[in-house]
Amino acid sequence: MNKGYILKRLLRSVISVLLIMVIVFTLVYTLVPRTSIFAKDDAFRKLATKPDDKVEYQYYIWEKLGYLDFVRSADYLQELYEENSPELKEAQKPGSKEMEDFKAKYEAEGYTVETYPKSGRYYAYKDTPVIKHVAIWLSGLIEIDTPWAVDDEENPDLERGLSFGKTESGGLALIGSGSKHKYLLYTDSNFPWIHQNIINLTFGESYPTYQGLDVLDVLFSSQGKEAKRPVTYSTGKEGESGIIFGTLTYKNKLDRMDKQKFQDNYATYRTDKENPSMVAISFIMGIIAMIISYGLGIPIGLLMARRKDKLADKIGMAYIIFTIAVPSLAYIFLFRYLATSITNLPSVFTTYGASDIRSWVLPAISLALPSIAGLMLWTRRYVVDQTNQDYVKFAKAKGLNQKEIFRRHILKNASIPIMHGIPASLAGCIGGAFITENIYAVGGMGKMLPSAIQEYNNTMIVALAFLFSMISVLSVLAGDILITKIDPRISLTEKAGRS
Amino acid sequence: MMEEKIQEKELFAFASFDKYESEHIAAPKYSYWKSVWRTFFKSKFTVGVGILMLVLVGFSIIQPIFSGYDPLIAPNVNNPEMRFLQPSSDHLFGTDNVGNEVFDVVWAGAKNSIIIGFVATIINMIIGIAVGAVWGFSKKMDKWMIEVYNVISNVPFLLLAMVLSYAMGAGMGTLIFVMCVTDWIFVAYFIRTQVMIIRDREYNLASRCLGTSTWTMIKNNILPYLVSVIMTYVSRMIPSTISYEVFLSYLGLGLSVKEASLGRMVSVYTPYMNGYPHLFWIPVTVLALLSISLYIVGQKLADATDPRTHM
Repeated sequence: MNKGYILKRLLRSVISVLLIMVIVFTLVYTLVPRTSIFAKDDAFRKLATKPDDKVEYQYYIWEKLGYLDFVRSADYLQELYEENSPELKEAQKPGSKEMEDFKAKYEAEGYTVETYPKSGRYYAYKDTPVIKHVAIWLSGLIEIDTPWAVDDEENPDLERGLSFGKTESGGLALIGSGSKHKYLLYTDSNFPWIHQNIINLTFGESYPTYQGLDVLDVLFSSQGKEAKRPVTYSTGKEGESGIIFGTLTYKNKLDRMDKQKFQDNYATYRTDKENPSMVAISFIMGIIAMIISYGLGIPIGLLMARRKDKLADKIGMAYIIFTIAVPSLAYIFLFRYLATSITNLPSVFTTYGASDIRSWVLPAISLALPSIAGLMLWTRRYVVDQTNQDYVKFAKAKGLNQKEIFRRHILKNASIPIMHGIPASLAGCIGGAFITENIYAVGGMGKMLPSAIQEYNNTMIVALAFLFSMISVLSVLAGDILITKIDPRISLTEKAGRS
Repeated sequence: MMEEKIQEKELFAFASFDKYESEHIAAPKYSYWKSVWRTFFKSKFTVGVGILMLVLVGFSIIQPIFSGYDPLIAPNVNNPEMRFLQPSSDHLFGTDNVGNEVFDVVWAGAKNSIIIGFVATIINMIIGIAVGAVWGFSKKMDKWMIEVYNVISNVPFLLLAMVLSYAMGAGMGTLIFVMCVTDWIFVAYFIRTQVMIIRDREYNLASRCLGTSTWTMIKNNILPYLVSVIMTYVSRMIPSTISYEVFLSYLGLGLSVKEASLGRMVSVYTPYMNGYPHLFWIPVTVLALLSISLYIVGQKLADATDPRTHM
């Protein structure tokens, strides 16, 4: 394997993904009117009667989402004079010398200065250019947690250091003090048993839906009702909770409840919910569908190729044409209608929930229907193409029987292009399937991108676009590497040189 | 040795020069398009499907002119007796949730779906083939076009569709634009691969040695070779474009409320599937028949346009 080639390609992939992100940022942050993000925000609607607060809130959110840089004149003045001093009160009046200084200063720096509708004071803002926005987003993508990460003015005596110990649930842990997470490394009984909180991916806070949660938490955390179990907190207090002790993070202001439960400032946590996360649901369903489609599609495709132009081939072709020509929306409904009238499987996922096997059967088969057709078509195509090759005639002339030729030569060669697609379809499972998940009311990933776009959840759109493009670019590379492992005749570098 | 030479001489005779004979080409008469049609009409099945396609397309174009159906006007909306009627001789396809004749709605929707399918496919094909032909020919261009392809093909289509329909306003024009704005790159990529396969064949090498310009080579040596491949692609693209319209309408992103569409019909009528199955099955059946007949005719035309089948 040529390491230089893979490295170069990885580099090119990274550049491609960056360009994609620039396009996505341009689409999301410049083409969609920025006022539309407030359409689904209740807090904003309540401010309708307070024009100054409304402006303030708008610009606060925009600054938080990275649209622009926002400066209040109040903040500017507070730096000049002490709190409650008469000079400050004088300066706060519109038209004062300090106000005009503020205007002149920020206009010189390229800011747009405007006045609050009611108080007449100034505020200034400057739009962030797309490229800079992307750069800021990228620089915040990876966060490394160290004992010096927390900066809390009210807690100056916070110890900084690392120690080994045990979590409340009994696992081994590397405990940090002064770091954002309490447990930087810990073990528990959940897959993959050893967890780390040192290197964290952050895509930003979700807004306006799933407010206050990091986008990745929305996608990767379990959903539904809290799964409560009896727990003992570090203070010795006992209770019922779904707390995951490994996710404890630093909290600036503790309330009474926190103080009863925790001895230190690490009091923010995630809870365990009853249903798997969106990614998990989509991935499990995708894997089942993939097993079904490869398990059926390839053998049927082989059968069609061997019985070319006979009845089996024609029936297979009819099915393929059906799936190509009829919208999936229609045939998934048709399938659900037929399947629920013959069997007593549930017509929606939520009837029995994720813990019951019966819920998964129909959605997974529906998801497999089109990919079975695709695999049938391509398997048949590749096998037929191989059958017409000279080496097959030669093998026949040498006296090999049909079965041997088919198994040892045709099948091996025809499987290469099919193998090439496996990493991509595996990775594609994460993306979910919009129509299938919607029809069966499965709480998976499929709905996330469409609903994020409809709800103007910009952080979510950007994060999903990044994840999906990364997955697709890397899985193509993985497919290329896989086929060179299977077939030593294929060389990627030579191919690249030729094209 | 000598003997053989003498014998050879005896076997041959000098032929006199005949001007007429030298100009005459002794090949059987062959016309490409005539052969295409002959191959196409040979199968009764193909002809049957072709007629079905023409009837469906023709009906979709003509019927809406006479019915004058307008999605914004529901004349029977206040008359509960007219809602959810089963198909009968008076109401051929029954009536829907607001008392409209399903028969009118279906053909008006089919008309728009057909227009979108055809126009988007034609635009994509023209741009895609033009770019793909040059792309496949120029090795310099290939290097950066591959990256352009990587980027464009990975921009989430749904995001683009939603943002554009927001910026331009929902409607037929927007929908067609959305379907063309990135899809051409896939056509171009497909054509590029096909061009690369035949670009370096001997006859093209010979052609280049004789000084044929790149443009003439693309036009005369390569594109005719691709007619059947392109037809195969077209026959898949029209139904898939119609399917996509259905998908976008299901998301509420397709045509505006002013325009009828099969996609919105399917998504609006689906909740009534259990109580009034005709509301679901009629549009789906029309859609399926339309797509399948277009697909099969396209496939058969692709076979017929391949000169290798003309023997």
